[in-house]
Amino acid sequence: MLDATPKTTCDQKAPFDPREWLRLAAMPHFMCPGCGHGIALRALLAAVHDCGIAKDDLAVVCGIGCSGRVGGYIDANTMHTTHGRPLAFATGLKLARPDLTVVVVTGDGDCLAIGGNHLIHAARRNLDITCLMLNNEVYGMTGGQASPTTAATRVTSTTQSGAIEPTFDACALAAAAGAGFVGREVTRQAPALKTLIARALRHKGFAFVEVMSDCTEIYGRKNDLGEAPEMILSQKADMRPEQHRDAPDQPFRPNALPTGVFVERDLPEYGERLRAHAAAIRGEITP
Amino acid sequence: MRPLPQEDFAPAPRPASAGLNILVVGVGGQGVLMISKALALMAQRRGFAVKQSEVHGMAKRGGIVFSHVRFAEQVWSPTIARGEADMLIALEWAEALRWLDHLRPGRGVFIADTRKIVPPFACRSRKLGAPSAYARETPADVVGRHADGCALDATGIATALGDSRAANTVLLGRLSAWLDYPVAEWHEVIAAIVPKGTREINRAAFDAGRAWTPPAPDEAPAASAAAAVAPGPDLRIGVSIDAAWCKGCGICVKLCPERCLAMDGPKAIVRTPAACTGCRVCEWLCPDFAVTVRNEGVPA
Amino acid sequence: MTTLTALHGNHACALAAIAAGCRFFAGYPITPSSEIAEHLSHAMPKVGGTFVQMEDEIASIAAVIGASLGGLRAMTATSGPGFSLMQENIGYAAMVEAPCVIVDVMRGGPSTGMPTRPAQGDVMQARFGSHGDRPVVALAPASVQEIYTETIRAFDLAERLRTPVTVLYDQVIAQLLESVAVPAPSAVRVRERKWANGASGWEPYAADDDGVPAMARPGDGHRVHTTGLTHAESGFPTQAPPVVDRMMRRLLGKIDVNRALIEKHETLAAEDAEVLIVAYGITARAARRAVTTLRETGVKAGLFRPITLWPFPEAALARLAGRARAVLVPEMNAGQLVLEIQRIVGHTPPVRPLTRIDGEPIAPDEITAAVRELAVHA
Ligand SMILES: Cc1ncc(C[n+]2csc(CCOP(=O)(O)OP(=O)(O)O)c2C)c(N)n1
Ligand code: SF4
Ligand code: SF4
Ligand code: SF4
Ligand SMILES: [Mg+2]
Repeated sequence: MLDATPKTTCDQKAPFDPREWLRLAAMPHFMCPGCGHGIALRALLAAVHDCGIAKDDLAVVCGIGCSGRVGGYIDANTMHTTHGRPLAFATGLKLARPDLTVVVVTGDGDCLAIGGNHLIHAARRNLDITCLMLNNEVYGMTGGQASPTTAATRVTSTTQSGAIEPTFDACALAAAAGAGFVGREVTRQAPALKTLIARALRHKGFAFVEVMSDCTEIYGRKNDLGEAPEMILSQKADMRPEQHRDAPDQPFRPNALPTGVFVERDLPEYGERLRAHAAAIRGEITP
Repeated sequence: MRPLPQEDFAPAPRPASAGLNILVVGVGGQGVLMISKALALMAQRRGFAVKQSEVHGMAKRGGIVFSHVRFAEQVWSPTIARGEADMLIALEWAEALRWLDHLRPGRGVFIADTRKIVPPFACRSRKLGAPSAYARETPADVVGRHADGCALDATGIATALGDSRAANTVLLGRLSAWLDYPVAEWHEVIAAIVPKGTREINRAAFDAGRAWTPPAPDEAPAASAAAAVAPGPDLRIGVSIDAAWCKGCGICVKLCPERCLAMDGPKAIVRTPAACTGCRVCEWLCPDFAVTVRNEGVPA
Repeated sequence: MTTLTALHGNHACALAAIAAGCRFFAGYPITPSSEIAEHLSHAMPKVGGTFVQMEDEIASIAAVIGASLGGLRAMTATSGPGFSLMQENIGYAAMVEAPCVIVDVMRGGPSTGMPTRPAQGDVMQARFGSHGDRPVVALAPASVQEIYTETIRAFDLAERLRTPVTVLYDQVIAQLLESVAVPAPSAVRVRERKWANGASGWEPYAADDDGVPAMARPGDGHRVHTTGLTHAESGFPTQAPPVVDRMMRRLLGKIDVNRALIEKHETLAAEDAEVLIVAYGITARAARRAVTTLRETGVKAGLFRPITLWPFPEAALARLAGRARAVLVPEMNAGQLVLEIQRIVGHTPPVRPLTRIDGEPIAPDEITAAVRELAVHA
């Protein structure tokens, strides 16, 4: 029978050293100078450490894109799957192995365009997966084409005179689809991002975290957003006041997205439900 | 092949049937495609059949980009086979070396920027100051030994002119010295393909490249800046930067509230270790895990 | 102890999966395969397995691969349109060497085609459906009994070779009720996947002589990286030509090295056949009847029935075809497997297709007539 108890834990009291969590032979990673995905990776590792999750019991499932490459640097069980499908792969993995902590790292294109259907169904099903969507408002890997989150008027290689399509609010989408935990943070607030991810990891059920990341080399350049420091500073310039740290509030980007935790509700977790249902079918418990 | 005289472009034009195979290589974001486009347009104007094929899919910085430009009376294959390139134009040093075997043995022309863009994966060791796996050959090793041509600090020349991004045009200018096409026409073609605001600088870059002469042997370009690390005083609080992992994005430098850090060429260094408060901003925001802050007072 | 039961084809498939130790099923409803999912939705939980209905076929095969990488024997079932959607991820399973079984109950195509009518139109999709070159194993049972045994064999091959295996059959046998000899559970043998045993120097994609690498399970301490990018023995991506060549040839060669294990066929009166019929699935049943009739009237007809479609049992066919004067390939498509037969046999003896694409099975009479004609003219 499937057992949902993790076998080991890591020492979360010890100070966090990212080098213990990285595949050092693969480092330095392949991302461009200043790429926000690297900052998100650190926040994720710090959060995993904070939660006391052991490397052996951590599975990171990624899609395709610069965001999809993030997992390969983590010294855990890592899966680099196909474009848009990491949530579907993760669903199979988590159902087969409820003892693992399953984290999905995906991109705005991966998660909202080609994989949009899987996102809404993962949110609806509410299996215990933590999904980190690294939103850089662009298809970084393929050279900077527009994504479903490219803000209006932004220049990309497929919107050379400015984007005209409306964008998705990924958090609103996940919340509407039924996710039990939904939050958003910018990479500039890396410590807050870590706390948010840790909260998502501890949440039982599907947790969706949108990370506002910077594609410095392509999106930044094409849109004259400055070099990496300017890009990350501009995240701060438009930030909300400090006392509202965890509340959705001030807009900070051209597309006016708030940050913080938007949804945190206890819903029946799918894996548990499924196992209870199976036990009832077997006559082991009365439904 | 020898460069044509610099001032006089009247001499014996190459017969119209004599086409050329030109390989342009570099890494993402350097303007490989601009060079090949200019070449293709120049060839087209001469009535040649032109074929240009390129790889620029993974346009990330650090990804390899190359472009084959072939023109002649009749061209079939879009790619240049090993040993059949008449000219190799490289925007980055390691790429120049990687493609060297595509030049015609003994006859091909080699033009390269000596600037190095060390790809992240060249850093093989995590140890501070460890040697990198980046190509070790120097320009002097290559020019003369393998092929006719030159290695110049095109990026340096372009930077001096006001925009390092015009390095590709410097190389194009250099290349033009081997082709008997009128300067005015080069200017025209370049103006047509570069963004409007950069026409002047590109024109200047072209002319500078075309007029470039090799420096005296003893002033060959210096090796790239060695990784500099200045560890802070050994207190409870300290910040250090692993040069092997730093990609020089500048985030830590600009965001440190105490201005402890500074750029030293392509890498960040600790400038005023004593001023560090151990706030960890630099550590959190370094996308490359290159910064380590020790602060026994502040939890990580 | 073997028990005799009357089963529908799809039901037999579901029972065989359970018997083979399959403990994960993900699928999306599609005629004429849905009964497999329906049976398993109830049967899986009973044996402690997991059944999940996903949002589409892409998600279904993805979840199956995820479960397989998690260490379970896993399966999905679909029909043509869903099989098309699965192709990219089937290629992924082949690349990362995740064992899994895909049942494709073929119906009339292309597009929505004829959902309730039989066809054999996915033979080439099973072979070439995913981009690039990949190892391919596909089995084609011709009876409900064979659906049972071949589904079990599919798991055995998938687990043993660490590769996706497709079971192809059509709407007729899927929904046919036949008696099946169900073996005692102890008699069902599916070999255990080769697991990494923690030996030092182990690499996730370093294979043994059989071309198959030992697999790690998440949680066992190996912490493997799995990627659809071309990877080295270490599991990490590479584009170095010699490494890519070595890895890809090993991956594809896995099929050749294990041909004896994978290939399976059956013959009827083939040794002295002047006209050799090559038929599979439901069509082979008509061909069997045709051979009997023809022999009764003195025509030397014989049947070669591949049970493994891919890799095709080519040596066996070449030997028998070499003695015949003509080869006839009846199939319920516009001529798919016939291309492979022509490749194997060459120009002599002539290889002729007999095709039917109207949603009707090929009748014995049609085959008899075609053989008679060939016997006279070839
Ligand atoms: C089926 C399929 N279609 C297209 C691609 C090409 N592709 C690779 S990454 C990518 C977009 C990635 O964008 P995003 O998810 O935003 O990730 P980022 O690189 O920005 O982190 C695309 C379209 C692919 N790999 N597979
Ligand atoms: S292309 Fe953009 S998203 Fe991709 S690594 Fe570079 S900066 Fe990051
Ligand atoms: S820890 Fe704070 S003060 Fe010290 S170098 Fe980093 S950012 Fe500056
Ligand atoms: S933030 Fe990191 S990579 Fe960027 S300059 Fe500083 S040390 Fe280097
Ligand atoms: Mg993106």
